[in-house]
Amino acid sequence: MADKNVLIIGGGTAGLSAAVELVNLDIHVDLVEKSDFLGGHAVGYTCKATRNTCVKCGACMVEEKLNDTILHPKIKIWTGSRVQEVSKNGRFTAKIHCKPKYIDPHKCTTCRICFDKCPVDGAILHGFSKSNIPFYAINEELCLYLKDKSCGLCRDECPETAINLDPKATEYIKEADAVLVASGFHPFNPEDKPYGYHRSQNVITSLDLERILKQVGRVKRPSDDTIPERIAFIQCVGSRDSKLNHLWCSKVCCGSALRMARRIKDRQPEIDITVFYMDVQTFGKDFEQFYKDAQEEVRMIRAIPGDIYETDRQKLKINFLDNNTHETLEEIFDLVVLSIGITPGKDNGEIAELLHLKLADSGFFKSGAEEASAPNTGIFTAGTISGAMSIPETIASAGKSARQIVKYFRANDS
Amino acid sequence: MKDKTLIFGNGPCAHYLAEDLLSTGADIVITTTDKTCNFSPSEHSGSIEILTDTRLVSCRGSVGNFRILAARNNKEIKRTVAGVIVAEEDQRKSNFSLYGLKASSCVITLSQAKELLLDSSHKQSIFLKAKKVVFLTGLVKESHPAITEEIMHSALRLQSDFNLQTYILTANLKVAADGLEALYRETKEAGAVYIKFTDTRPEIHSKSDDSVQIEFVDEITLKKFKLTPDISVVDETIVPSDYAADLSRILGVDADADGFVQADNVHRFTVFTNRKGIMTAGSSRSIQTCGDQITDAANAALVSAGRMAGLQIVPEDRAEIDKGQCIRCLTCYRLCPYRAIALNTRVVVEPHACERCGICAAQCPRGAIRIKHLEPESILNQIPKGYNPQKEVAFTPFIVAFCCSRSAVQARELARCMGHELPSGLKVIEVPCSGSISFDHIYGAFERNADGVMVLTCHEGNCHSEQGNIYAKQTVAQIMDMFLQIGFEKKRLAVQTLASNMATEFAEMVNRFEANIIELGPSRLKK
Repeated sequence: MADKNVLIIGGGTAGLSAAVELVNLDIHVDLVEKSDFLGGHAVGYTCKATRNTCVKCGACMVEEKLNDTILHPKIKIWTGSRVQEVSKNGRFTAKIHCKPKYIDPHKCTTCRICFDKCPVDGAILHGFSKSNIPFYAINEELCLYLKDKSCGLCRDECPETAINLDPKATEYIKEADAVLVASGFHPFNPEDKPYGYHRSQNVITSLDLERILKQVGRVKRPSDDTIPERIAFIQCVGSRDSKLNHLWCSKVCCGSALRMARRIKDRQPEIDITVFYMDVQTFGKDFEQFYKDAQEEVRMIRAIPGDIYETDRQKLKINFLDNNTHETLEEIFDLVVLSIGITPGKDNGEIAELLHLKLADSGFFKSGAEEASAPNTGIFTAGTISGAMSIPETIASAGKSARQIVKYFRANDS
Repeated sequence: MKDKTLIFGNGPCAHYLAEDLLSTGADIVITTTDKTCNFSPSEHSGSIEILTDTRLVSCRGSVGNFRILAARNNKEIKRTVAGVIVAEEDQRKSNFSLYGLKASSCVITLSQAKELLLDSSHKQSIFLKAKKVVFLTGLVKESHPAITEEIMHSALRLQSDFNLQTYILTANLKVAADGLEALYRETKEAGAVYIKFTDTRPEIHSKSDDSVQIEFVDEITLKKFKLTPDISVVDETIVPSDYAADLSRILGVDADADGFVQADNVHRFTVFTNRKGIMTAGSSRSIQTCGDQITDAANAALVSAGRMAGLQIVPEDRAEIDKGQCIRCLTCYRLCPYRAIALNTRVVVEPHACERCGICAAQCPRGAIRIKHLEPESILNQIPKGYNPQKEVAFTPFIVAFCCSRSAVQARELARCMGHELPSGLKVIEVPCSGSISFDHIYGAFERNADGVMVLTCHEGNCHSEQGNIYAKQTVAQIMDMFLQIGFEKKRLAVQTLASNMATEFAEMVNRFEANIIELGPSRLKK
């Protein structure tokens, strides 16, 4: 199948895994990722090994897929790019819009000077993997040069002259024999929940915690960099919520929260951890034992808190209904982690329109029996675009889509 | 001749797989211990052979050329196949005893309930006379979404088609599967009552007439309730089939703690095993829902139909056994995680199966096994002889870190990207698996002026070679013992675990180690 080409929309776990499978079969891949970095959400996840033992979260597998992708000559990578038009006349023809490439990946040595010199917080973004090349990117929304040309420090200070702040966006036309949509999910935004996210610095999401653990290794309070004495995890934020019409379990949050909680206890045993939950979901093959061990280290409370208020020294007061006494209790925590759910990707509507696909009522792409694409359209989906999935499930889903693509090619060639 | 694939199994996953492979022209052999196989493929271009009532006896050879010996009515069946896929069904263990119940006309298993509901005539159904049905799940041991899914479908049928009242008693309601939360709400709308327990459990009494009485305090209202169901449906524990255990033993494939045919190791995602060319799919590798099994079948078909050729590429620098040196102690045979050592008239390496981890070479007591570019000399040649980075007045320790290519080498790269300070005298030496590290590697590093030597390996349960990291730890522990006896500081040697994405931890480890070495001063073995 050396003459075939597949256009993959989305460079996260699903897109990367599918790309690796397809090139293994000698199929060419164009991998289009809208953000500056490949790897999706999961590349920012921390290793959750506890007591030097792997807990099978799968985060390192994303790293491996990413590594395999960037090394493969048959995968053309388009970061900072969007598929704007797709037409089909036998083959697919797609217009790919690429935003300007400010940092030359061949010149950049990852010396970090641009990142350190930039006067605006967040105007230079960094990747999460050594395979994010270049490791840095200019954030168009915050860069002062792009706003009013009032700064150019990064460009001036770069010892390799790898930064150009004046390049133009480009457009390319690419042909493909099949399209795979793997644009992933949107992490639930908890701002509308009464938990004070973005109002209190010490209320963070599970995604924030993943990144803190990955980059810093230990937990600190964002407000003052002190070690929290008491941490609360709140589960099902944005999942299993009929008010939001989110009638799904996000599947991964119990595993993520309990694994991170145990990892924190492993390194910082002095921290008290409480997990507020609805039902603890099964994850991993050794769940029974894992959960038993976790209960020795973590206090589990079966209640979803009503609201959270900030008290003195930016501590957080949580109100919840006590199961035994049926009274409303208040407890004070130093840090609150919201286990935010997997919700439909923000671009789902746009992508569905682009490819003439239908979304389910939930906003996810249809999957399984009610698959969005009939198998003979040449359009396929993979990963969390059609609902919550763990990393292993996403990799499996990508493998299944790769198989569907191969069968589609066979059927249409004969 | 086209490559054949052998499939073990006679359940849905095996059938999906067979259908899929046949549709793309693959040749397959299905074997099952069942007396009959009702698989009938739709239009296909490949060839199929079905062997019923057949059990595996042995499987020799390697990917591309597995020599299968099976038995049927004491008759031998021999086949040569390119790949093998284990797609056996799981098995249900009833949980009566967990709830202090016994099977009876009014206490049945979930499988029995499903079966009764499958019969569309309903005429004989025990549900016709019933008014109340209770489902007991996850009250003693944790349940699983695959079980909850079946309970919810059954409850929905009972509520709508039999118009009776269902109660589902559980601790943690397992809804972490596609569509389950929505199904949960649907059953509730249909009238099913869910009673969840946290700190308390219901008291379940079995009466002399086999009827069941359940007493409990509802945790929401704090009121006492008594339930007298006409039928109690007890959940089941899903376990691998008995034959699956035989298969993993005969095929030399690592199983998980419960006996499912796949080690609990992320490197085996999705359908791989430790043995190249042998895959495992569906309920044979873990507890799966129907949807999972379809996904698994597609993944196994993908590898089987497309990648077998790639898997058959012989690594250039594979292990080689020196006939003259080998004393047939079988250490390599026992330790090879990929089953790449075969016993013929002498001990030989199966070239296609070798993954070049280096464990055999490191562990061979006779030093009879060589892997090109992995011998201590070639590895140590990365350290120039007489190399001594100490140029300044202050002592800069020279640290040699043997790093596993899958974890620590990657972590070092990321640490560099993230701008972590690393010791200036750090020399990272990449090895395919830390299991390839032998005494000679470590002594050699000290001989070449190292002030300290680190072995940085993968976390337990995350080693691609299953046990390579454990062997590395043992090797280091033995050398430390020796250091202790000869009075050499054992602090100069360390073994630690990392994952590829642990840059911060990598930096912490090497920096802490450097601080320890600075405290000890230069090594006395330095020339």
